[in-house]
Amino acid sequence: MSEVHLTINGLQVTAQSGQTILEAARAAGIDIPTLCHHPMLSNHGACRMCLVEVKGMRTLQTACTCPVAEGMEVQTETDEINECRKFSLELLFSERNHYCMFCQVSGDCELQALAYRYGLDHWRYPRPYEKMAVDASDPYIIMEPNRCILCTRCIRACAEIVANHTLGLRERGSATMVMADLDVPLGQSSCVECGVCLQVCPTGALIDARSAYGGHAEEVTHTQTTCMQCSVGCQLDVISRSTRILRIHGVWNTEPGGGLLCVDGRFRPLYETRERIAQPLVRDHGKLVPAGWTEALAIVAKKLKSGRVLGLASGATSNEALVAFAGLMAQVGGKAGQTMPALPTLGFGQPAAVQDILATDYIIVAGANPLVYQKVVGYLIRRAADRGTPVALIDVPRGGLEASAVLSVSGQYAATVTEQAAQAQAPLIIYSVGLKPGVARALKPLAHARWLALAPGRNSLGARAAGLAPLEGHDLTSSRFDVLFFLLGEGSEEGGVMPRLDGAFKIVQTAYRSPLAEEADVVLPAPIWAERSGHVTNLEGKTLPLNPVVPMPDGVRDEAEVLDTLRTMM
Amino acid sequence: MPLDFTKPTPPSDDKRWKLVQATMRRWGNHHDALIETLHTVQESFGYLDNDALTYVAAALRVPLSRAYGVATFYHFFRLKPAGKHTCVVCTGTACYIKGADQILESIRQAYDVKPGETTADGQISVLTARCLGACGLAAAVVYDGEVAGKQDAASTLERLGKWVEQ
Repeated sequence: MSEVHLTINGLQVTAQSGQTILEAARAAGIDIPTLCHHPMLSNHGACRMCLVEVKGMRTLQTACTCPVAEGMEVQTETDEINECRKFSLELLFSERNHYCMFCQVSGDCELQALAYRYGLDHWRYPRPYEKMAVDASDPYIIMEPNRCILCTRCIRACAEIVANHTLGLRERGSATMVMADLDVPLGQSSCVECGVCLQVCPTGALIDARSAYGGHAEEVTHTQTTCMQCSVGCQLDVISRSTRILRIHGVWNTEPGGGLLCVDGRFRPLYETRERIAQPLVRDHGKLVPAGWTEALAIVAKKLKSGRVLGLASGATSNEALVAFAGLMAQVGGKAGQTMPALPTLGFGQPAAVQDILATDYIIVAGANPLVYQKVVGYLIRRAADRGTPVALIDVPRGGLEASAVLSVSGQYAATVTEQAAQAQAPLIIYSVGLKPGVARALKPLAHARWLALAPGRNSLGARAAGLAPLEGHDLTSSRFDVLFFLLGEGSEEGGVMPRLDGAFKIVQTAYRSPLAEEADVVLPAPIWAERSGHVTNLEGKTLPLNPVVPMPDGVRDEAEVLDTLRTMM
Repeated sequence: MPLDFTKPTPPSDDKRWKLVQATMRRWGNHHDALIETLHTVQESFGYLDNDALTYVAAALRVPLSRAYGVATFYHFFRLKPAGKHTCVVCTGTACYIKGADQILESIRQAYDVKPGETTADGQISVLTARCLGACGLAAAVVYDGEVAGKQDAASTLERLGKWVEQ
């Protein structure tokens, strides 16, 4: 990298060689309009909005693709340029249905904003009025091709960010349109519903099925918090209006995911169908009936003092609640642990961060299924594979990653992978609960490897840090317990150890109705992800903040507060 | 043995897939070989159906959307079987002025096919071309590879009528 000096609009600007005129201008605070350009995506140069005049060049240049050169003299706003931009906009508007007043992004639309900026009050060309069918086959994403300007941001996002390659262009010329796979409806395609395409669409062509017409940019609140749906801990930009959550965006350039989200983080929490528990419930004559907090806590305190207590925590809660839970269990002399299975240790190598997946020269995935359980990690592995990083799988179930892999073996042939990876400078071993001791031994010659352990469940590392170790089956059967306290958080009956303690008095602290809650003798309500403040620990071991987006419903109290109250009652 | 990525199996045990596989092998099964491979599929089978596109995409590790995009981008590739006979009407400027649109309209009225389509009985495929370079013969129509000049609706329908009679 060397410095390059150029002038933009007469202003002396210093840029790095290899930068584009657009990057240099934006770094210098000079605005150049763009439509197809997106900072997270490769440059495309299709929309002609960023046209600039470069002295000595025959034609106007697209600033997003034109690299800077020493001594360049660039003009970004001349009459000729503005005329060209307005002309391009006119063509875009006349091609399809851009009658803004019916569009859900009217007011927040990049195309519309540019039309205002360049004073586009009419267009001179007749519209072809070609009607294209709206594709609403996907539950979360609606494709409205009549509003598409073919900027291909969604296609590039699908390929470059998620490495899923579902979207592409069909036909050419005026028949060109965005489509999925072999031109099938999105809902029947290979789409993984990560929603990145929604986040980058500059117009209303990709519609969020839930939040359309829910509020304009100026009416909404943005809250950054951490996703609690798995152990990756992606950063969320939760967009809400009053007490309604509209949609969730990823936060670009944040660790661990870099702004990429998955369906579990972006959509499913907003489509929750389980029934919320909004006040304590106690069993009375065989039925769970609503009760006050004082009454419920008095019953719980009495029971906790009276017998042998088993405390079980699922990871679907904050570090603070887990610490308070462990403290309470210690105070009543109970046995406590977490329901998530134990995460093996590799025994060699250095820990890595999630973003290191993109900065390694050999990836080994062992005993894990990231495309199902830690989807963002799975997408990053595929992205690395697209860049040419070899990916080898050991004991990985079929279901997606093999299409990106160079080799897939069962555990007994792990040594083959070790041989292949021996030449790599910085191999990365990604493993999870399925890592067998034999595989770890076979990989041991890769002593210089780094590893990324995919913690199971959601906040199992937070539970671990609070002193709640995974419980084995014999922990539960070795002695009789009179009271079971289950800190379920917003989980359902997630995998792991589910005790059958028929005779015990069961206390469940949870946000939703579930089979486990129905069996309980006392149910204490808990907040959900969007209502929490506190922290979680992600699979890298980083403590990430939880910020409340909406208030808790009346009758729900934070778990840590409830558990601390119980401690004072002991 | 380590679980090797056995190459995807062809959609059927038709021997013609061997030709397709040979083309892919010649190009090292590299994804760059997509167009060459699609050429072989079309030469062997006459057209590209979804099964063929899915198979080629998987074998070359190309996204389905890319395979479909390439197949629809190029005019040469066809996704439906061609008719027994093909009739290519030139719609270049000279031929257009000389009534190419009337020829197409007369075909549409007589056989209910638009350009790019094949008659229901699979006899005739109607295509258009943008200038055959035979502007002196306008309007030009290509009947089964043979260029005929100075055509009009009547002469075209006469030629197509002979095909149907056979």
